Amino acid sequence: MKRLQVGIESTTLANGLKVVIAPDTTAPVVTVGVYYKIGFRLEPQGRSGFAHLFEHMMFQGSANAPKMQHIKLINSSGGVLNGSTSYDVTNYYEAVPSNALERVLWLEADRMRALKVDDENLKNQRDVVKEEVRVNVMNQPYGGFPWLDMPPVAFRNWANAHNFYGDFADLDAADLKDVQAFFNTYYVPNNAVLLVLGDVKAEDGISLAKKYFSDIPAGAAPPFADPSEPEQTEERRGNVEEKFGTLPAMAIGYVMPKRRTADWCATALLDQALHGGRAGRLHRELVLEKQIAVEADGGIDDIFGYNGPTQMTTRILHKPEYSSEATLAAFDAVIREVQQNGISADELEQLKVKWRSDYYATLEGGRGGYMPKYGLMHLLACFTLFDNQPQLVNTILDGFLAVTREEIQAVANKYLRNEKRAIVFRTPVKVGAKEAA
Amino acid sequence: MATRTAEVATGVPGLSAERAVTWPKRTKARLANGLEVILAEAHSIPKFHGELFFRSGNAALADRAPGLAEITATVVRTGTAKRASRQIEEDLRRIGADLSSSAGADTSAISFAGLSEFSEPLLGLVNELAREAAFPEAEFDRERRQKLEEVKLERTQPGFLASERLRKVLFGAHPYARVSPSEEQVAAYKRDDLQEVYRESYTPENGLLLLVGDFDSQAMLQSVEKVFGAWTGKKPETKTAAAPAYPRGRRVYLVHVPGAVQTQILTGCHAITRKHPDWVKLGLTNSLYGGAFNSRLVMNIREDKGYTYSPRSGVHALRQHGYFSVSAAVRNDVVAASLTEIFYEMDKLRSLPVPETELADAQNYLSGVFSMGLATQDGLLSQLSTVGLNELPDDYLETYRAKVRALTPEDLLATARKYLDSANMQIAVVGDRAQIEAQAALFGEIEIFDAQGKRIS
Repeated sequence: MKRLQVGIESTTLANGLKVVIAPDTTAPVVTVGVYYKIGFRLEPQGRSGFAHLFEHMMFQGSANAPKMQHIKLINSSGGVLNGSTSYDVTNYYEAVPSNALERVLWLEADRMRALKVDDENLKNQRDVVKEEVRVNVMNQPYGGFPWLDMPPVAFRNWANAHNFYGDFADLDAADLKDVQAFFNTYYVPNNAVLLVLGDVKAEDGISLAKKYFSDIPAGAAPPFADPSEPEQTEERRGNVEEKFGTLPAMAIGYVMPKRRTADWCATALLDQALHGGRAGRLHRELVLEKQIAVEADGGIDDIFGYNGPTQMTTRILHKPEYSSEATLAAFDAVIREVQQNGISADELEQLKVKWRSDYYATLEGGRGGYMPKYGLMHLLACFTLFDNQPQLVNTILDGFLAVTREEIQAVANKYLRNEKRAIVFRTPVKVGAKEAA
Repeated sequence: MATRTAEVATGVPGLSAERAVTWPKRTKARLANGLEVILAEAHSIPKFHGELFFRSGNAALADRAPGLAEITATVVRTGTAKRASRQIEEDLRRIGADLSSSAGADTSAISFAGLSEFSEPLLGLVNELAREAAFPEAEFDRERRQKLEEVKLERTQPGFLASERLRKVLFGAHPYARVSPSEEQVAAYKRDDLQEVYRESYTPENGLLLLVGDFDSQAMLQSVEKVFGAWTGKKPETKTAAAPAYPRGRRVYLVHVPGAVQTQILTGCHAITRKHPDWVKLGLTNSLYGGAFNSRLVMNIREDKGYTYSPRSGVHALRQHGYFSVSAAVRNDVVAASLTEIFYEMDKLRSLPVPETELADAQNYLSGVFSMGLATQDGLLSQLSTVGLNELPDDYLETYRAKVRALTPEDLLATARKYLDSANMQIAVVGDRAQIEAQAALFGEIEIFDAQGKRIS
């Protein structure tokens, strides 16, 4: 077995900014990321969707690079850029020909130092975000299902249960004061990690990080609300109307252990046994064999990157001639089977080889085909922000490859319990729904 | 028109000296059975990516049934003479591999990726799927029913409805007009028809095998010969459909989706194929118009006006005919305003030369992004497949950047005038008729359809 070893150099600047460099001269391309340890989970109450709206504002101008300049300077250097907001982190990233590295670092430092935006920018991006929500959620069949539908059913703490894309009233209520306060609180160097991957020498990466970022003053340590959930003691159910699609759908989510605790690796492989593509038990049973469902997939979202309550979620679109209860019973039979009989040694071995192969693909992985090392960047960022151990990227695999059959069966019984799950039914209002339960 | 003056950044570091872009050596071979093979080493991770293409897709079979190549490809992976469906899926997992089979307008393909240490068993399975697919009756029945649900579902997606309508309008009687079969057509698929397609199309003479990854090319070529060498089969006869007529004058095609809270705009005109000598010019013109984040269209209708989240333009190079299109999902009350800006930016590029600095920015963008294909195995595979499938010259990758950088404002002006055919753009809009019909009708004679494709007005 050939193991992949990623060379990593890391340091922390005097202002608290963590810096991780992973050199690789395969291509004359460098990937730069800045991750801030704040996502939509802990955005301010009454401001649902704000973390994401704020992410858009980070492209609207900083002290020395006014509106449109961030995008223009990266594109005109031959590079691509984007940002994304998730539960517990927000990232900004660029992949550019390596001769543009200093320019990218200058831009990222400029917007970490001082945002410079106005009401016109905010109104513009609020409009853009509303169209983003419409195109991804409100005007699409099964839009937002289940990532937006599940939280309010599954969770009781506002942090985990609110609309992460944002209620339009909350987006409208957000003003420049909110933008500045959020920036001052969370976008401080001591709440961030800078990553430089690819065509850069380790010592150059570190010294350039110092050159551009070391004069940004540290801020107060950000306050983080407690995201923990009260103990769940009974199954929770909810219903959401499906406006466009004609197939009834459901999502079943079970609460998972915290990341990097004893059961974590076993739940990840259990997830693969259940959801791993066409060989996964749920797809095989519900789609290929019983042919109740048209789709049955899902899993633990962003397994390395969550830092609060999360679920393993199965998303099922089923044929209208099967009732919701019949579909759920077929799903439950798959769960019961793995609880009662576990998995075979042969199946476990297959899962481990696939896990290792997928892990390598993640490390190299582009986003949309043109963001080399996106996955490596994401893992290094999460291992730095949550664990302060970027080197985990080279050792984390060991835990997954050591999981036993007994552990898989044990976590199936411990976590896949009805009183620890939530179910959301997404029910079509259109024809085809009549026969559904 | 942008209403806000763009300010410039101050103190921006310059670019340092560029490191040379060196594309890996390609090993090309043609096996005695006619199979064309292209290999390239990329040692970033201990894996490899591959694609076995057949140069026959849905268009070549359109006179038999729409989507026939696609359903054939779907059923190919569900059983062989030696392995049942479940065995195939478990064997893939056992060697850490992913595999998919699909077909587009012009090609059918088996795509795969796996660990280098298991390259022979993966190639063995690909070979088995290409030569010994069994089309089990039960699997065929299930995939056909599955396809029926998919074709119902896609009629609820605005993006699909817009592209279906635009393709019909641009391509008329040509097979490219059909992007998907109807429910009735799916229901009429016959297993025998799939097997006939498979026998004709899945042959080494019709094939191109691409492999990129962590391997030694000479050793890999030997494996390929060992695995695929005994396969035989002729190239199928190809028929070329009559060229479609170019629609003249702007016309509007509204697909009515009651209750839609947004409008999907898709407007397009005929353009060129990948082999055309103007391809690089049009690529750069498109990039500057609406193909990049920093493009004129995105800056205008997103960053200045906030009409839409992800406006984009693109050149779609099908093998026989290409087309240019512009898409944007916009707020219902700015459909007319968005179309006005879309055409304004096209007309501006057709009227005024691009400033030198803006041209240089776009040239840097296109050549930089092109080189990123080097950094990942699947990025490189995608570049090699473009070259291989379009029979582009061997030095295409090496010379592309220089070709982009040699272009002048006059080249772009001429290209925009030739291909950004503003006066003859065909306009598809998908949304709620009550909210958008009057706005859309400002741009040309209007025809209205329902989501099933039936003309309603």
